[in-house]
Amino acid sequence: MAEIIDNSPALEIHDLIVSYQKKPVLYGVDIAIPEGSMVGVVGPNGAGKSTLIKTVMGLVPHSHGWVKIFGGDLKNSIKRIGYVPQRESVDWDFPVSVMDVVLMGCYGGLGLHRRPGKKEKDKASEALEKVGLEAYSKRQISNLSGGQQQRVFLARALAQESDLYLMDEPFAGVDAATEVAIVELLCQIRDQGKTLIVVHHDLATAREYFDMILLLNMRVVGFGKTENVFNAELLQKTYGGRLTALSEIADKLAREKI
Amino acid sequence: MSFNQIFVEPWVSHFSAYWPILVMAFFVTAACGLIGNYLVLRKISLVGDAISHSVLPGIAIAYMIAGSRSDLAMFIGALIAGIFTTLIIELIHSRSKIKKDAAIGITFTTMFAVGVILVSLYGADTDLDLDCVLFGKLDFMASKEKVFFGLPQIVLTMGFILILIILLIVLFYKELLISSFDPSFAATLGIKPRLVHYCLMCSLSVVVVSAFSSVGAILVIAMLILPAATVYLLTDRLWLMMILSILHAFLSSIIGLHLTVALKVSTAPACVVAGMFLFILSWIISPRYGLLRYLSSSFDLSTFQKEN
Amino acid sequence: MNKSFRSVFLIFALYFLSIDQLYAARIGELVESNSWDQIKRFFTFSDRGLQLSLIGALLFGSVCGLTGSFIVVRRMALFGDAISHAVLPGVAIGFMWGMEKDPLAILVGATIAGLLGSVLVQAIVRTSRIKQDAALGIVLASFFAVGLCLIRMIQNHEGASKMSGLKTYLFGDVAVIDSSDIMTMSVIVVLTFVLFYFLYRPLLIVSFDRQFAYSLGIPVRLLDAVFQMFLVIAIVISLQAVGVVLVSAMLIIPAATAYLLADRMNKMIFLAIIIGVISAILGVFFSFLGSNLPTGPFMVISSSLLFAMAYLFSPKNGRITNWYRYLQLKSKVRKENTLKLIYHYLEKNAEAKEGVNIEVSELLRTSKGDTKGKLSSLRILEKSGSIELENKKLSLTNLGLEQASSIVRNHRLWELYLTNEANYAADHVHDDAEKVEHLLSEEKVKELELFLDHPTVDPHGKPIPGRGQV
Repeated sequence: MAEIIDNSPALEIHDLIVSYQKKPVLYGVDIAIPEGSMVGVVGPNGAGKSTLIKTVMGLVPHSHGWVKIFGGDLKNSIKRIGYVPQRESVDWDFPVSVMDVVLMGCYGGLGLHRRPGKKEKDKASEALEKVGLEAYSKRQISNLSGGQQQRVFLARALAQESDLYLMDEPFAGVDAATEVAIVELLCQIRDQGKTLIVVHHDLATAREYFDMILLLNMRVVGFGKTENVFNAELLQKTYGGRLTALSEIADKLAREKI
Repeated sequence: MSFNQIFVEPWVSHFSAYWPILVMAFFVTAACGLIGNYLVLRKISLVGDAISHSVLPGIAIAYMIAGSRSDLAMFIGALIAGIFTTLIIELIHSRSKIKKDAAIGITFTTMFAVGVILVSLYGADTDLDLDCVLFGKLDFMASKEKVFFGLPQIVLTMGFILILIILLIVLFYKELLISSFDPSFAATLGIKPRLVHYCLMCSLSVVVVSAFSSVGAILVIAMLILPAATVYLLTDRLWLMMILSILHAFLSSIIGLHLTVALKVSTAPACVVAGMFLFILSWIISPRYGLLRYLSSSFDLSTFQKEN
Repeated sequence: MNKSFRSVFLIFALYFLSIDQLYAARIGELVESNSWDQIKRFFTFSDRGLQLSLIGALLFGSVCGLTGSFIVVRRMALFGDAISHAVLPGVAIGFMWGMEKDPLAILVGATIAGLLGSVLVQAIVRTSRIKQDAALGIVLASFFAVGLCLIRMIQNHEGASKMSGLKTYLFGDVAVIDSSDIMTMSVIVVLTFVLFYFLYRPLLIVSFDRQFAYSLGIPVRLLDAVFQMFLVIAIVISLQAVGVVLVSAMLIIPAATAYLLADRMNKMIFLAIIIGVISAILGVFFSFLGSNLPTGPFMVISSSLLFAMAYLFSPKNGRITNWYRYLQLKSKVRKENTLKLIYHYLEKNAEAKEGVNIEVSELLRTSKGDTKGKLSSLRILEKSGSIELENKKLSLTNLGLEQASSIVRNHRLWELYLTNEANYAADHVHDDAEKVEHLLSEEKVKELELFLDHPTVDPHGKPIPGRGQV
């Protein structure tokens, strides 16, 4: 297992370069996220926010740099990560019920070919209760509204009982009331000493929701406590377009593969 | 033809001829249908088609080398051809601007073309010919030497493979489920979605190759997809889909067999036609996802209400 | 576009004039002779049956290339495969119609079956939750199975002798094409080309960006239907020569080859037509050599060979071409790294100037690793006149100094750019600059200098070599 050093950050990324289908997406990302914080990842469309999360989980290969989770390798620590993907990333016509999806969160604890038992089912219903969906547990997942589907994903992540949560736009397509409820839930998780990294696209609310903000536009424009980072100059830099030389060169670099 | 001739006589006076055909048809369709559920849910149905086409040169070469039908040689030949095809597809689509669908189309048709040439050049010496590639040899089951319960060896092998597939699905149900539903989430649980994918592809190849001699190279795709597609319209539970697709396999082989008797056609295509009728039936009358439901609901607002 | 179409028409016109309504000897019926004689016969074009086969190859090869180009750019390769299998029951029913090979009945039957197949795919996808891939698989296999059953029934009814005509539709036999087939084919081909000529622009827009096409008021649905009609027709006229099972390959492979070679749609179509014709003719040639072999597979293999050639040697992105380019870049990097090493040595020990003698062994000591490689690149540098080697001592020439300062300039400029503009920490920029220095073009460097206001010092306090200081 990963050796756990007390003061090692929950997530440390060093000089990360990622190119996707020969197009650069992230260039030189270098951050350390302390444990117990709730970080909002903010940036324009195509800034590489989702890619950052996917790279941390090893779903997208990187061409340079490294990622450490709780001071250890991804391989050892991947089970400490909880992941909430974008809603569009799965096929909602899939023949599973809400309960089945939430139970998936418990699969990591089971060995190969063991079935989820009573203990897992209790844990899953508890998670469903937390997100207020206990009445829907038998439904097929396509019969849920967008906000409910998002909450199913959250419940699954809760059932996973991870230490580091990576969430890709959990508020997309969610009505205002649900959004408030979800934020409350996230704060509860944070208060248990867990770390949350949340991709968020709404600047207006990002300021209220998160303790720390990571401004991303291919490179890290700013990272730190919300009040320090959230200023006009840095925001202008984030949303003011890419550094052309950087993206061109990164493009070339990815293609030539020295 | 009378009712008696079609539905009674095969069971009364020609039982020993039709029994192995029925069992083989059922085993093949059931094994294919079980794997097919995952193909349909993962939206890679046509991969089954590509694999069944591209193993042909491997099988043909194995026939040439081993002289006649030898299961082991056939498997090895097919496996090599299958792996080769996968590599080529990957090479074409990752290292050039050709998209995946075209890469698949290019590779499997080329492999199949090579196979057809080999079969027509050298097939005459063995019992592998173009008819076998097209129609399969289900009808010849009865003429084989019977070892057990009036069933020839090849049927027993297929039965063994069916049991193996069922066992694999039961044992790794949750791994298969989660990596089909949400592969990136599976990765965070320490289940390697790529590994699961390759294992699935491997079992698919085993099923396709063992089905080859009875249903040929082209009809396999129907055996893979029709059961899954039919039951996908009927239920929302994966385990129920599995059970219903076995039922579909059973019904389509029985109906197919009677079609064969009635129309004097080959059994494999007849089973597919029967399976097609079952699919069309379920498509039209499915209570939740069917055509009738679609037509009736498109006139009122209930579809829009579901959106919110 | 205009030109290419016109020239294709011209070629057709010439060929039509040369067709007589004579009885055609069929390739399959020829007595077997040795392959050398066959090759000679092939190239003298004296054989009537061969002429017909070649004209047929020209006709369907060009239509497949044309239609296939749109198939490939619209990512419909597997759709084409499904539809091409779906025409089989139509062929069988067309055959039943007159119980003999009546090209028109078969053509109509196959077209109807193909269109029915494509309508069914769309109906399944639209009205149920079954996705496109499964719908294609269902239609492909079910229609094909129905076709096989019908063929068996014809066989039972008519006896095996009639089957030979029908069997060719499965794996293809170019030799059975006779002059009435050619007439039917050529009318259809001309019609197809004319229609494509008029619909080229809207089809292009629909293929590239449907939303935009809607916004322009283009009848997208109608065009899709027309395009599927073309697809089915291209499949149907290739059926005899290539066969149901492999006809989709003739749509995909020539067009994919052209896709690798061309970067404009009109060029791609033109190339696809040529490649389609060449592979069809090659297929005729190969099957001419052996007797009693299906022609379809040979055509497919010919086109795959052409595809493999394009994949490996395409000037823009061929695998071998890229590999060669990579080797060149690697040797450039090695050369530049050696020059940089010399520059750093000079900078540390004296002034960076030309003509200062350095002990080779001393230089090698300053860096770890691969001594052999460095020695060889020193030799290369000497040949290109960048350094002078004498008595185990080396010195930079004027040219060498310029090259060396340019590479160091690139390195330090990039480091500065990263720290100033991309918020890099100063101790993190070196690795990145090590790679980027070799890729910066002269233009880019000038741009960077301007952007950074002609800096003189890099983030580590080292001077950035200026221009023309030598």
